[in-house]
Amino acid sequence: MSEHDITFDAMGSHVRLLIGEPGPEMAPAAEAAEMARRFIFDFDLALSRFKPRSELCAFNEDPRERVPASPLLRRAVKAGLEAAEHSGGLVDPTLLREIEGAGYQSSRAGMTGAPLDEALAEAPPRRAASPSPEQRWRGFEIDEEAGEIVRPPGLRFDTGGTGKGLAADLIAISLRGYSRFIVDCGGDIRIGGADALVHPYEVFVEHPQTGERAHVLRLGSGGVATSGLNVRIWRDADGRFAHHLLDPATGEPAWTGLVGATALGDTAVEAETLSKAALLSGPEGGRRLLADRGGLLVHDGGRIELVGPLAAAPRIRLPQIPTLEGAH
Amino acid sequence: MTDARRNRRPGPGAVLWGSVALFGVLFALLTYQLSIGADPSLSGSTATATGPVQVRKVIKRRIVTTVVPTPGKNSIVSGPASSSSYGAEPVTTSAS
Repeated sequence: MSEHDITFDAMGSHVRLLIGEPGPEMAPAAEAAEMARRFIFDFDLALSRFKPRSELCAFNEDPRERVPASPLLRRAVKAGLEAAEHSGGLVDPTLLREIEGAGYQSSRAGMTGAPLDEALAEAPPRRAASPSPEQRWRGFEIDEEAGEIVRPPGLRFDTGGTGKGLAADLIAISLRGYSRFIVDCGGDIRIGGADALVHPYEVFVEHPQTGERAHVLRLGSGGVATSGLNVRIWRDADGRFAHHLLDPATGEPAWTGLVGATALGDTAVEAETLSKAALLSGPEGGRRLLADRGGLLVHDGGRIELVGPLAAAPRIRLPQIPTLEGAH
Repeated sequence: MTDARRNRRPGPGAVLWGSVALFGVLFALLTYQLSIGADPSLSGSTATATGPVQVRKVIKRRIVTTVVPTPGKNSIVSGPASSSSYGAEPVTTSAS
């Protein structure tokens, strides 16, 4: 059994593709990997808020209420709105002004984050984030027939919350028919293929504070994603620590008692949404959010907590044992 | 006195016929007991040829541990980070 293994940098992260044997009349794995690589670069060119010539930037600057949009941008906006809906507004794609105000105006790719331990020591008292009462994201509508996105002029959209997961899911669609595959877009991962069900992939979960492998998952299908405070963290203009996961209610970085959350889902977008929502919800809310699909929470002190199916003991089946009385 | 005692001993013929007669009586008695199901070799047991039969089975108890994937959800097993990898170097999920 062979797999084509390719790694490259895109979307401000490392991307890795592992593709198994092609089905009948399908392109070789190497060719599929190259097509996927080109797709990711195109995806990034169209949807990055750090590229002034991207379609997303043009859309955000457009003064019209109805803006013609490509199928890819419409799909990205749709994914962001679904994430907001499913998270009750916690994963809010309209916090661009706030995130820029916190100091995240340009790509932080390749930059070392500020020390998380110092940030935690200086951070305000922990509390769970909550949705913005304004729910600005509800102002977006997608008109598929007209190929347009409708929104109040000036309201900008950020695909950062779901972009990598969406890229992984879209590539997964093109890889259907390969014996097995894994698409890893900066830690937002999608797995598929019939053979993966038989021989699951191992996915390591990185501890956000130590950088060590905290846990290993063996996944045969679906998505897994991790959100954490350790990478995109910096000191703002006032010298305070800030990071990219904002409390929608306040527009400020959220300090919830969790420094990392890993979630499982049917898709990478679902997993990404759940992991962000879990981290923003804090320990109690995060536990509730991950209870169904399973996940892992990392507390401020570094403690790892397995949640849902990951925490449950394996099921044990006992065969029916005939008794002597029943043999008479 | 010695002669008198010698004279009271049975002769060889009497011993022979007496033995045959005793054998015949015992044989008849055992045959009768067997015919009515009262086998003397099973004396004290309630089990008879017509009684209930107890079947003894050798039972092997096996405990099967299976992680059952829930339909529509990830097929997943998890464990400590020291597990060995399958195939290529494992991928890592982390914040990015």
